[in-house]
Amino acid sequence: MFKADRSELDYFELVKKAKALSPSGGKPLLRVALLGDVSTQHLVPLLRVLFSEHGFEAQIYEAGYDTVEVEALDPSSGLYAFNPHVICILQSTQKLQSPFHEWPGDRGRFPATKAREIQGIWSAIRERSGASIVQSTFVVPYERPFGNFDFAVNDTLHHAVLELNRELKLLARDGNGIFVNDIDYVAAWVGRRQFIDEKLWALSKSICALEYLPDVAQNVVDIAVATQGRAIKCAVLDLDNTLWGGVVGDDGIEGIELGASDDTGAFRNFQLYLKELGRRGIILTVCSKNEDAIARRVFREHPGMVLREEDIAVFVANWEDKASNIRLIREKLNIGFDSMVFLDDNPFERNLVRQLTPEVVVPELPEDPCLYVRAVSELNLFETASFSQVDSLRGALYLGQAKRDEERSRFGGLDDYLKSLETTADVERFTPKNLPRIAQLIQRSNQFNLTTRRYSQADCEAMMQDGAHCHPFSISVRDRFGDFGLINIVILRRSGATLEIDSFIMSCRVLQRGVEQLAMNKIFEHARRIGARYVVGRYIPTAKNAMVKTFYERFRFTQTDSSETEGASYRLEVDAYETREVFIRDASARYGGAAA
Amino acid sequence: MTYQEIQVKLTGVMRSVFDAPGLVLGDSTTAGDVEGWDSLAHVELIVAVEKAFSVRFTTKEVKALTNVGDFIRLIERRVK
Repeated sequence: MFKADRSELDYFELVKKAKALSPSGGKPLLRVALLGDVSTQHLVPLLRVLFSEHGFEAQIYEAGYDTVEVEALDPSSGLYAFNPHVICILQSTQKLQSPFHEWPGDRGRFPATKAREIQGIWSAIRERSGASIVQSTFVVPYERPFGNFDFAVNDTLHHAVLELNRELKLLARDGNGIFVNDIDYVAAWVGRRQFIDEKLWALSKSICALEYLPDVAQNVVDIAVATQGRAIKCAVLDLDNTLWGGVVGDDGIEGIELGASDDTGAFRNFQLYLKELGRRGIILTVCSKNEDAIARRVFREHPGMVLREEDIAVFVANWEDKASNIRLIREKLNIGFDSMVFLDDNPFERNLVRQLTPEVVVPELPEDPCLYVRAVSELNLFETASFSQVDSLRGALYLGQAKRDEERSRFGGLDDYLKSLETTADVERFTPKNLPRIAQLIQRSNQFNLTTRRYSQADCEAMMQDGAHCHPFSISVRDRFGDFGLINIVILRRSGATLEIDSFIMSCRVLQRGVEQLAMNKIFEHARRIGARYVVGRYIPTAKNAMVKTFYERFRFTQTDSSETEGASYRLEVDAYETREVFIRDASARYGGAAA
Repeated sequence: MTYQEIQVKLTGVMRSVFDAPGLVLGDSTTAGDVEGWDSLAHVELIVAVEKAFSVRFTTKEVKALTNVGDFIRLIERRVK
């Protein structure tokens, strides 16, 4: 992801920056291992600098040239000693040449066989490491022995690589913590003709021309950063000359360029793109200098509008400065500035927002609205490490919130209001079906997160299967106005007479509804069931989780120790816990059985 | 371009790639004489020189280079 534009990706500039890079300014450490049948040395400085610019200090392990299998299969290899968070496997089409041409028998079977081979490497790694595995695709070769007729022939290398890439993606989709680094997409984007560099391959086994190594590195960084839970969640949109041409306050609703009155189609295209982002779970908001009524009227009445009022979670149209309005939007959504992107055609507004809220991502928009989609999409702002039902429903969730707020104002007491919501919860031990969402919540939640331990999906699966020591459970919640999905995770570990709360994580969408009380009741129910005497927990402070600093105190736990960096430990006797009253119907009668 | 001009320009490119502002080159200078001129940097150097002089070398030419004098003569042949 880029903060402004792609001009940051110059090979020689980045290498210079890497030389000047000083060790850690308190950035979180990320151990990244590079395995490849290509040389990786040129990538190392690029990765270090790009990770640093994305807020991580990268420690990089380079396996020897062309030692992918050896490193993966040998339990005592340097790879496992390094204990990486991310393992990046880079493979080249050049190295497919010989096996393909020497392939005995039916060449049609080559792609599937090769894909299984690679899957075998993933499995070998997975047996020994919970790291995220980032597998490259193969660059589709430019040579086509049959020319355009290649479509009808399935035994060329060109065809085999297309198939192999497809197979890899399918296998990765069903895999566990496998991510695809689509190098072929990068190659196609810059042009295979430029990307593939035969001379550099001959001289140093470089996967591509030196000039495009930064694009390859950036792609790796984007994926790795997403696996660490950094993601854009919200787009803040300007209106005049961004969503339509002209100024609605001056030109009137009939005078703006949009739909039939926009013969370039630029604004409709941009809105279609934004609508798609909304569908993908990006929260769309409006921040415009306008009269509220005039701005909203366009959304309600203009026939050319693709985005409608219900697509917009927070609509702010006034004459305040945009940085203040962005702060307001951030508060309403309860997300970090660094998960917001601001799209505005006006350079003045962009610079103001960059200055006053520097964490917000502010891409340059070109003068020509026809290029808006390209300008935004080429920054790869919306990389993610997971996608679940909750994402696609997020827009509806925030809309449900607006209705809840309305309802709330009609009730006197909070209890009455909570009862009226008819909230229902499902409390379940981790299930295979829930694992992707669980891993996502573990990776993304920053605020209501007591220990911020970032377990991978593979780790969660291991805990799910460890019935003897581990009791990990999740809570899903719905109410009269909508389904929140899985929003709470608790991981309990048993050790003798003590039950330890290893992790307690909640989505901030469901604060103050009694979910944490319900979860705590469940923790103590479990403690009693297994005959534990104490429940212990820990608060580890981070830059973002101050809101749960007094979490254990609120449940009358006693603090047992504390340190600046390690946080504080708490303990409560099981018999001393008072079950909290909650206004949530527990739909999970199975829970007792599943927990045993 | 004269031999002299090429030498001056090449020195500039090398100083930048090797991050060595005081670097001085003679015809017999080899990779072993310059700190940081390893196989990694050699690839960077070739790319940087091709760009600076707007020329392309063949793989064989690049592999056959033994010293700076060779390099200058190669560039000389290509820029003509």
